[in-house]
Amino acid sequence: MTAKKRSVELFPATAFPIETLTETYNRARIDYIVPMPMNVARMRAYIHNYDVELESSVIATLGREIVGLGMLGVRDQRAWITRLGVAPNKRRNNAGQGMMEYLIQQAKERGAQQVTLEVIKDNWPAFYLFKKLGFHVTRELLVLRRPPIKAQLKRKPYTLTFLDAATVSALLEGRQSQPSWLDELPSLRKAGNLEGLKIRLVDGSYGWVAYQHALYQLARIVLQPETGDKMTVAHALLHALHTRHLLHDTKLENLPAVDPYRKVFEEFGYLVSFTRIEMHLDLS
Amino acid sequence: MTKILLIEDNPYDARLVKQILKHHDCQFLHAQDATSGLELAVEHRPDLILLDMGLPDLDGQTVMTLLQRRTELKAMPVVAVTAWPPDTAREMAKAYGCAGYISKPIKARQFYAQITAYLASDSE
Repeated sequence: MTAKKRSVELFPATAFPIETLTETYNRARIDYIVPMPMNVARMRAYIHNYDVELESSVIATLGREIVGLGMLGVRDQRAWITRLGVAPNKRRNNAGQGMMEYLIQQAKERGAQQVTLEVIKDNWPAFYLFKKLGFHVTRELLVLRRPPIKAQLKRKPYTLTFLDAATVSALLEGRQSQPSWLDELPSLRKAGNLEGLKIRLVDGSYGWVAYQHALYQLARIVLQPETGDKMTVAHALLHALHTRHLLHDTKLENLPAVDPYRKVFEEFGYLVSFTRIEMHLDLS
Repeated sequence: MTKILLIEDNPYDARLVKQILKHHDCQFLHAQDATSGLELAVEHRPDLILLDMGLPDLDGQTVMTLLQRRTELKAMPVVAVTAWPPDTAREMAKAYGCAGYISKPIKARQFYAQITAYLASDSE
């Protein structure tokens, strides 16, 4: 007698409380090199900040057991797949592929022309699943950290102006770098606590830096030298930032690996924590 | 008796560490998240903190930043416990003021020797 193979069933995430979504996400990533677990408060903030639509997100079950989760963010005609994972002992049941196909279909129904996702570098099973479904690599993104160390590097003299949230929000409309979903303007505005600094060097060159200022941490840094020698201005901007916030830890997510100011970040003690691969699927 | 505080949300790893330490002359304290871990650190002043770098409320680097800000906790030795690649773990642990790191998955036979090395170096 052979045992009947159970099949994966998919349900909208709205059918489950947020506690279950959080627990499922944590369980799915427990064996990851970078597990990034969340509590309910962080999950709630994540859903809010990144425009995750729970009615388009999915839970996978096998038999009566919840085994996986996948979420869909939607902005204009774009969608973003995130928090996808299957519990380690429940993989190889096509739950991952089933959830991906469900999310792509949801993206189409929401009118998305493109789907984006990020996968941690060297997560080969996930990477090949995404390739199989038609995603292509767009770029590498770095997750950087900087402990609270004094900015001791030499710097050229500059004058400094503090920028409030409204000014920063307006400046970000003219941002030159191409952000990932996590750092797009809607994400920054929803995450809140935005501040900025504008500096002007003695030769008249200037630029600004925007960032999220939490109690112990700076995050979501956007560096924008506007005129003059841009490396010099970038250097002065980071000097100003870390001199003003000496005791703050800093987290910078999804800096493109080819970002022109990457070396300046590294000079200021930013360390690569891990790398993500950004991928796109064209639906148009 | 040596007091060891483990800040770890993974129940399997927490159970394993508890099992290992029960055979030694240690007082084992366990917190499942950063917030309760910091509270236990203040209350019990452990001889060593074993810190998982991925916690549900704050990550390990943020915990280290908070510990370093508190004068009474600053000197407490902390060992990062992480699945990061060795180069990343070494670099990140050093940068954030950890005494060192232990790689996950935890190797039960080596684990106690690994942590006593940090206790010994702290008392020198």
